[in-house]
Amino acid sequence: MRWLRGLRRQETTPTRLISVAVLTAVALAITFILPPVANSQLAGGAAITIVILGLSWLIGWSGQISLGNSGFMAVGAYAAGIWAHHHATTPLIFTFALATVVGGLSGLVVAIPSTRLRGPYLAGMTLAFSAAITPLAQNFSSVTGGEGGIFFNTLTTPGWFQHLFSGVDATINANAQWTADLAVMTAGVTFFIMANLFHSRTGRAMRLVRDNDVAAELMGVNLSRTRTFAFVVAASFAGLGGALFSLINATVRPETFPLTLSITLLTLMVLGGIGTLSGAVIGGIVYSFSTNLVSHINSLTGVNPASNLGANMQGIIFGVLLILTMLFAPRGIAGLGIKAVNLRHSRAVLASDENVN
Amino acid sequence: MSSFLTSSFMSNIFGGLAQGVIYSLVALSLVIIWQSTHVLNFAQGAMAMFATYVGMTQIDRGLSYWWCVILSVVVGMAFGGITERVLIRPLYGKPEINPIVVMVGFLGVIEAVTTAIWTSTSRNIAAPFSQIYFKAGGKLVLLSPFIIFQIILAVVIMMLVAALFRFTRLGLQLRASALAPEVARLLGVRVNRMLTIGWMLSAGVGSIAAVILASGSFGLFPTNMDGVFVAGFIAAAVGGLDSPVGAIAGGLIIGLTEQFVLAYWSPSVAPLGGMIVLVAVLMIRPHGIFTRSVSRRV
Repeated sequence: MRWLRGLRRQETTPTRLISVAVLTAVALAITFILPPVANSQLAGGAAITIVILGLSWLIGWSGQISLGNSGFMAVGAYAAGIWAHHHATTPLIFTFALATVVGGLSGLVVAIPSTRLRGPYLAGMTLAFSAAITPLAQNFSSVTGGEGGIFFNTLTTPGWFQHLFSGVDATINANAQWTADLAVMTAGVTFFIMANLFHSRTGRAMRLVRDNDVAAELMGVNLSRTRTFAFVVAASFAGLGGALFSLINATVRPETFPLTLSITLLTLMVLGGIGTLSGAVIGGIVYSFSTNLVSHINSLTGVNPASNLGANMQGIIFGVLLILTMLFAPRGIAGLGIKAVNLRHSRAVLASDENVN
Repeated sequence: MSSFLTSSFMSNIFGGLAQGVIYSLVALSLVIIWQSTHVLNFAQGAMAMFATYVGMTQIDRGLSYWWCVILSVVVGMAFGGITERVLIRPLYGKPEINPIVVMVGFLGVIEAVTTAIWTSTSRNIAAPFSQIYFKAGGKLVLLSPFIIFQIILAVVIMMLVAALFRFTRLGLQLRASALAPEVARLLGVRVNRMLTIGWMLSAGVGSIAAVILASGSFGLFPTNMDGVFVAGFIAAAVGGLDSPVGAIAGGLIIGLTEQFVLAYWSPSVAPLGGMIVLVAVLMIRPHGIFTRSVSRRV
């Protein structure tokens, strides 16, 4: 597992690049094996991973609680959707860049009043933001398409990729897989950026601001600028993730970004592990296959999926998981993994000590 | 006089006050919990909604409206007490994000369970008051017997809570354990019990808000308290999370603001009005209007 070393804290950017490239290549290879339905799910999970990376950075590393990231997602998605609606021929990479920038700007707007706030005030403030953003979108329906949203379908599968497929459903399969591959590659790029950001000078300053803001200030860290930067980064990641998410759904509409999406994001982040890179990926994977997971649990417990209880099973399971993780394993799955490695390490040390004696 | 009462300005004042008292109650319930346990209860609205479902659906079984109201409050209080015991007590002394996350998760569970039991269809709870507006000189005044009942009930509840805190032995113990838990414990106050009672009290107040909301034209459905919770939180933050008086004033401010935004701009941007007030207030006083400024310990 030498190539995974690049994800460790002390490693340099080139090693990190290799590690991320290998991981992305593995994920791309997997899309060739998965059926089209699973590929579509994977694409959604990759988009969510990008959002969780930003959220994990904001909550885990800068210590600022946000329940507004579904709002930032909506801003990015609408920016991309509205642009693509008027300029259909724009290359996708430019649309995504636009979503990232506009998402980041919305983060700046929210951050200016919010970085003065702590804990619950901040959580409530960001919650109010995400509650206000979708009604706002509905209000300007001439631009945003109101309840029905805008069609956002500028994704075209290139010819050479089409040719890899044959058979009856060649086009559908190719499209599903191209979407997944594109999403995975975008997630890979953002993962690499975030990995560097986590371990950069700013990232270290951010942790100091979180743990001891007075000490940080004495060291010459500008508190409000650092906190604002954290918000802007998280919001631009959310904006990009939201745009990608809407592209996968082929529409941008208010109901994609309900208040409960913020809860889902929080659950996935806590479940994966707050403030860890691997946790964001774990969260994304859990999201991808949560519908399968829920239907599996439904069939295990004999609940009729068409019944009222079956339809709400996902909400119940996610909520219970969030509560249990926070009560019993607050560092999430990634935290448990780290703990297991440390435990094995300390056992090995103990064993070698006994040999000496 | 009658032309004054029927003017659109007064209609908006009445509408804003009617909505504002609901926000005030939610804000007050948040402040009670915040004062006693320093937890912002994100599931407050959902807990109250659940209690209202349990209580008010007994109307279908032939129970009278008033017994259902009392049942809702009792169920709400029990629910609040159990929640504090089971979910919040293990988290005292943990980072402040932990209880926030747990209560956000609880919110999701309650709404999903409620939808699973009662479906998401809105149902009407018939209050024993007419919802038809009064008329003055042939024109409508935006006041109905129900709205008057709603305002009076809210004011009575607020006065009861104030009286409890100010004039009773229990209120004194509650205030003591919120202000100085260690000293209160030394003086023989059962602080842990006070925390549970604080949560019960808060959940009871929240249930009243949910009952009023469900009895009006809004109806009862699993997410009906979401928007009200956000507005109630904004109200509490505007007034200052430490100040019950601030919570009530904040609720009225937000209710009136939303009503005027709704009337003069568009209903769908009403939540934005509350948020702008919040931003404006917090820019000037980060801990709300009515709170004493606190010095932060280094």
